[in-house]
Amino acid sequence: MQLRYVFSELRTGLRRNLSMHLSVILTLFVSLTLAGCGALVQREANLTAEYLGTQLQIRVNLCTDNDPSNSPNCAGGEVTEEQRARIEQEIAGNDEVRSFDYQTKEEGFEKAKKTLPDVVFEGENPVVTVENWPGAYWVTLKDPNRADGIISAVQGLDGVSGIIDERAALSQIFGIMKVLKFGSWIASGALLLAALLQVANTIRLAALARRREIGIMRLVGASTLYISVPFLLEAIVTAVVGVALAAGALAAFQFWGVQRGLAENVSFLPWIEWTDYQHAIVGLQPPGIAYVGLALTLVPTLLLTRKYIKV
Amino acid sequence: MARAGTSRTVFPVIRFEKVTKRYPGPGTPALDQVTLDIDKGEFVYLVGTSGSGKSTALRLVLRELRPTTGRVYVAGKEINRMAGWKVPRLRRQIGTVFQDFRLLPNKSVAENVAFALQVIGRSRRDINKVVPDTLELVGLKDKGDRMPDELSGGEQQRVAIARAFVNRPMILIADEPTGNLDPSTSVGIMNLLGDINQTGTTVVMATHDHGIVDQFRKRVIELEHGKVIRDEAAGSYGFRH
Repeated sequence: MQLRYVFSELRTGLRRNLSMHLSVILTLFVSLTLAGCGALVQREANLTAEYLGTQLQIRVNLCTDNDPSNSPNCAGGEVTEEQRARIEQEIAGNDEVRSFDYQTKEEGFEKAKKTLPDVVFEGENPVVTVENWPGAYWVTLKDPNRADGIISAVQGLDGVSGIIDERAALSQIFGIMKVLKFGSWIASGALLLAALLQVANTIRLAALARRREIGIMRLVGASTLYISVPFLLEAIVTAVVGVALAAGALAAFQFWGVQRGLAENVSFLPWIEWTDYQHAIVGLQPPGIAYVGLALTLVPTLLLTRKYIKV
Repeated sequence: MARAGTSRTVFPVIRFEKVTKRYPGPGTPALDQVTLDIDKGEFVYLVGTSGSGKSTALRLVLRELRPTTGRVYVAGKEINRMAGWKVPRLRRQIGTVFQDFRLLPNKSVAENVAFALQVIGRSRRDINKVVPDTLELVGLKDKGDRMPDELSGGEQQRVAIARAFVNRPMILIADEPTGNLDPSTSVGIMNLLGDINQTGTTVVMATHDHGIVDQFRKRVIELEHGKVIRDEAAGSYGFRH
């Protein structure tokens, strides 16, 4: 296959359908940016849930030595195995509880290190150490509105430092995230559909504009692949530009919106990092926008070129 | 339908065995139980009224269509069973010329001819060697840089023939190649097709041109309502027309 010929056909194709290609690029750019935003909000929701629990969860913190709560339940210092067994038995037997997990001091401390700034754990006098980080039960409720029974059952038990119940606040945060996430996904879904239709139209017009050449190519024995290559390359160029623009917009959002904005002003929540951004662009599960963009242009191109230029 | 004066010892380059082609919808089939052999190096006219099945027969040879029943062989291969990916290779052995020339208006004469080689992946070196030779063969040696709209109809048809022949195909299919040309230009095109035939290429030409068929006597296969009603060596167009 002569590369010179293929690239000259690519140049001609891009020039001939410039306005269509630009419209596909713009639609891809906006839709992929929104899809990427949806993915980032989803990551943020996961991060928040990991740190604070979901609106279905309450946390039962256990006593540490010199427990800061000054609760009479912690008069005996660090929670004992017997106390913990008693607490666990109470949680397991409560009919408001769907499930529960025990998180050791070490696990909780490691998780906090990942989500909170390093400064909390470093220096000569760190704010917290593993010794004064409480072990905890993460209790998932059957109904987010029904927790009175489990709270009253465990809050007076020896070894229970306190109960963290942030369902109301979390419900609001997750509510906002849910709206943002589904809003961006619905909008991006509609725009991705528009991009798909535009790609289909572009291929149809390109095939129509080149019908004489394609007819001759078929007659003289050019393979389907050879005939399709300029169309596929046009689709790849369109996808790459669309994805690059969307990745740039999301990077700007991550830098100015999250790191320089939200992370500096709302410090009680963990915020998405560049690794989360990277995941939104090239992650596999869910697929990053780079793959979505390529699939959106290449799949219809492959299907339609088979239809329009069948040998 | 007996065919006069040809030897059966030569390998048929095109063979139709009881070929029927029926298009969707009611009506008689486009081809009805057609059986014929065309040998290597033959020059054959396919004549008949519009709708008699000439174009269908040509499209079956090119594997643009498949027969409803029966078998089509080209160069000994049954092409209706041929896998799709092998069809381009088959078509490289067949050159095709049309009444309306089908040249690319934005390419020069030489580029039009070279296009047929470029798209099957021939090297530039090959193309630079073969294209001028082919243009010389069709009498357009000095017109390689011209654009198609700067040429007469006869010259444009010569370019189309050059494009069809540049890959030295085994078969040249010509669908009404003189249909848009005046009689004297048509004679020139027929001489050119005759020269190509002399190189060993089998030429199958569908035509309505009485004068040409009667002047350049070759084998004539006449179709009517999808059936072969006459197959004559060195035949005429036929008194019925």
